[in-house]
Amino acid sequence: MILRIEGLVKNYGDVRALDGLNLEVKQGQVYGFLGPNGAGKSTTILGTVGLIFPQKGRIELFGTEVFNEGKYDENTLVEAKKKIGYMPEHATLWDFLTPVQTLDIIGEAFKIPKAERSKKIEEVLKLVGLWEVKNKKVGNFSKGMKQRLLLAQSLINDPDFLILDEPMTGLDPSGIAEFKNVIRDLNKEGKTVFFSSHILAHVEEICDTVGVIVKGKIRLEGNLETIKREFLQKAGYTIILETTRKVSFEDAEWKVTPLGEKKYRIVTSHDIREELHDFVASQGAKILTMQVKEPTLEEIFIQMVE
Amino acid sequence: MMWGFKLEFKQNLRTKKFWLIIVIMAVLYIPSFYFMKSFFLQSGEHITNEAAMSMLINSITGMTSFFVAILALLIGATAINSEIEKGTLRIAMSKPIKRLHYIGGKFLAHCLVLLIALLFSTIVSLLGILYLGGSFTTQLVVDVFLLNMLLLLAMIQLVALGYIISTVIKSSNTALGLAIILMFVIFMIVPSIVNFLAIKNTANSPNANIEEMQKLQKEYTTKYLFYDPISQVKVITEDVSTTLSKNPRDILNVRYNGVAYAIRNNLTNFAHIIWLTILYLSIGFYRFVKMDLR
Ligand SMILES: Nc1ncnc2c1ncn2[C@@H]1O[C@H](COP(=O)(O)OP(=O)(O)OP(=O)(O)O)[C@@H](O)[C@H]1O
Ligand SMILES: [Mg+2]
Repeated sequence: MILRIEGLVKNYGDVRALDGLNLEVKQGQVYGFLGPNGAGKSTTILGTVGLIFPQKGRIELFGTEVFNEGKYDENTLVEAKKKIGYMPEHATLWDFLTPVQTLDIIGEAFKIPKAERSKKIEEVLKLVGLWEVKNKKVGNFSKGMKQRLLLAQSLINDPDFLILDEPMTGLDPSGIAEFKNVIRDLNKEGKTVFFSSHILAHVEEICDTVGVIVKGKIRLEGNLETIKREFLQKAGYTIILETTRKVSFEDAEWKVTPLGEKKYRIVTSHDIREELHDFVASQGAKILTMQVKEPTLEEIFIQMVE
Repeated sequence: MMWGFKLEFKQNLRTKKFWLIIVIMAVLYIPSFYFMKSFFLQSGEHITNEAAMSMLINSITGMTSFFVAILALLIGATAINSEIEKGTLRIAMSKPIKRLHYIGGKFLAHCLVLLIALLFSTIVSLLGILYLGGSFTTQLVVDVFLLNMLLLLAMIQLVALGYIISTVIKSSNTALGLAIILMFVIFMIVPSIVNFLAIKNTANSPNANIEEMQKLQKEYTTKYLFYDPISQVKVITEDVSTTLSKNPRDILNVRYNGVAYAIRNNLTNFAHIIWLTILYLSIGFYRFVKMDLR
């Protein structure tokens, strides 16, 4: 077991950010940590790297306890951090340094010998695609470039366990695809990856396990397909329908909200397109347009909270 | 510890704050020596070694007690919160570095930065005194060293006070504002009020004279301004030289006692600087070790 969290509780004043969270990440997994804004994703991650003090619970890293009942064992934590790569959300690096200087300082924190360090810096910068700008000041970088450097700094110690907080937020579609490739390659090298996001598409294709956190608790866990099926059952399909003339849905078993004179929103738990055709035709009308919308993650989250 | 030190030192030498203070000190002090020189030339007075040393001590103390003090408080007040805002602290502390080692290294770097600012004012003052006709002696070297150490201690107290602000106030801008207000209210306005009271109370007493007033000022400063390291340093440096002439305008007629003598003579004030520094540092470090870095 790479990471085990048991009953983690974190209050910020009156706000309960984590409410007895349990979580396990196994060796070799790519674990997608999904949740809406404010669900407690960052709080979980910050607790794992020892940057905040939860009030209750236990954290084990690499099979060794680092946190128990409000206290970190700093020596064990430092040992564990040697094998961890962490990428924070909304962080900037030192503006006045270049990528090479930045990674050099980070490498020094791990006491990587000078010669080995420069080799590693080259390798990592090439991996994230910043080798061309290795001697430019970070202050002038675009958001995407800064994001890449944040990833690079988490890789400098060749970590066994990568913890990434919203690594794909702010990247364009090609950036996301590229990022997923990098994650896949790192996973093939044997690294365990744990990353958070509030967008379903981010965890698609690369995660073998997904955990959904809402209001400080894991609500769903498993592989992505299972979770999606459960999602759809909970939230249902939304159909936006336009007809040639007014239709009465009084006898229908679906939940229908009129959106206009001849426009309706219908929410169901399964696909009813065929049935709809017949229903509309039975009243002498025809369907002009029909849009079927799968629920967005946000909508599912909202349903789960309710 | 060395890792945090190196990182912080590099960062500080790049900040505008530091260079701005250095430039302001240079711009204000270099012309003042020029005017003093022309004053001496006009009045035809000759500067004695004793007077030169006493002027040197006053010049360094005057320069640093304002500018370097502001620098110290500002460095301290934004030391931690600004790093949390930027996110660099989360990156640094996710590496295998202990919190106490990191803050310790940061503190050492701040000491070095302040020492550089102090040495700068010392060099400006030294060159100024040489320009006015003073000369180097062994005692001068020893005393300048002692004075710098004394001032450094006072500045460290301000940095340490800043650390507490920096761990309590999340926004670095608010902390900056508070530090500036503190600087003016607690370290400038309140001391003037205390001094004024001393003067007023001497004037009311039957045997009012300058010595009586100075005695009362010193007593009040020790009692009511123990939290102001600059006032404490000023009490100490008062005793570095004694004015011999009854005429207060006769600044060149002094007996020079030395910095070591002045410290020995004012151990209570020296102790105030030390114990508060230790207290502030302990609180600041403790809070940093126990705080959420988000
Ligand atoms: N310093 C703080 N003080 C008070 N409340 C906080 C603080 N930091 C976080 N919170 C609250 O804790 C809860 C969890 O926050 P957290 O940052 O862990 O969420 P998240 O899942 O990472 O959200 P996001 O997608 O926005 O990053 C939120 O309700 C947030 O408002
Ligand atoms: Mg977050």
